[in-house]
Amino acid sequence: MTRSSFLKWLIGIVGAVSVAGILYPVLRFLKPPAALSGAIGQVVNAGALSSFPAGQLTLVTVHDKPAAVQNLNGKYAVYSLICTHLGCVVAIHGDAFKCPCHASEFSPTGTVTRGPATLPLPTYHSQSQNGALLVGPIDLSGAPYPTWYKGEFS
Amino acid sequence: MSASAGPVPQQTPSEAKRRKPGLLGWVVNRLGMDDLMEDQYNRVVPFHATNYIYCFGGIALVLFVILAATGIMLAVYYQPTPDAAYQSVLNISTHVQFGWWIRSIHRWSAGAMVVLVFVHMLRVFFTGAYKKPRELNWLTGVALLLITMGFGFTGYLLPWDQKAYWATKVGTDIAGSVPLIGHFLLVTLRGGDQISAATLGRFFALHVLVLPAIIVILLLGHFFMIRRHGISGRL
Repeated sequence: MTRSSFLKWLIGIVGAVSVAGILYPVLRFLKPPAALSGAIGQVVNAGALSSFPAGQLTLVTVHDKPAAVQNLNGKYAVYSLICTHLGCVVAIHGDAFKCPCHASEFSPTGTVTRGPATLPLPTYHSQSQNGALLVGPIDLSGAPYPTWYKGEFS
Repeated sequence: MSASAGPVPQQTPSEAKRRKPGLLGWVVNRLGMDDLMEDQYNRVVPFHATNYIYCFGGIALVLFVILAATGIMLAVYYQPTPDAAYQSVLNISTHVQFGWWIRSIHRWSAGAMVVLVFVHMLRVFFTGAYKKPRELNWLTGVALLLITMGFGFTGYLLPWDQKAYWATKVGTDIAGSVPLIGHFLLVTLRGGDQISAATLGRFFALHVLVLPAIIVILLLGHFFMIRRHGISGRL
């Protein structure tokens, strides 16, 4: 490889990386956000009931947001995994929840068992139909959730 | 000369330039762009102008290009109606991916462009670059400064928040204080006696359609005259 062809390659690579660095955010920008396309609030199919083992929490995604399906002997509930403290994604910890950011803990029914969070994890409206779990909008009526938290779901 | 330099070393440089290979060369050959561009390539920047204070106008141009690109992107999501404007700006900042980034770039570049255009004007003034035969370019520069301020003024209203509303109220009140034609100016700017949906529509049209068209025409004239006159002499 000659010096001039090396430099041409170098210019080409730097140019390609620069163009990609501009194109990537532009394309992401143009992708319609779920919140604005009207998708939020629509009922989605979270999967077959058989895919949620009894007594366990199973990770699902509802409108691009992390959530967990709880199967308590055939009684299903869908908890949001957005922490009510500062919006981190809460981890499943046995049959309960624990936030990796500031160690807030939530009981299997979503209530706070350890701070700094003060508000319970909200649930999604859900029902089983034809062997599948259908998930509807989030239920934020259970506690005085702050505006930023509601914004996570709108 | 090594073998990789090409099999036709007998050609003179200008002959080699006239027959370029590749897709770009095809276009260049058909438009005779070599002759057109040769004059541009051969221009030498005078030594006294290789100084940072001569860069402000160019930086202002780069900022304008950034503002045009990010402005087009913001216009994808922005809605210029009183009901939707504020919410659409919030959506850009909170829901659209990289929206906060694009909007921040637009906002900061806008402020920086006003500063850079002004500093560029100071450079031209203190180096005496406005003197004959460059008076006409100074005048287009004054117009460009006013257009840049006009961009800032009209863009300020678009988020449709309290600050935008009252800034526009004060700004258009000032226009209304001009003797004789003041009321005409105020009504023309606001689209009525009060700030309303008509005002937002007018400012949006000015910001994204009228002012961009005017500034592009003035910029082309500005740059044509720089080429025509050359860089002004040293102090």
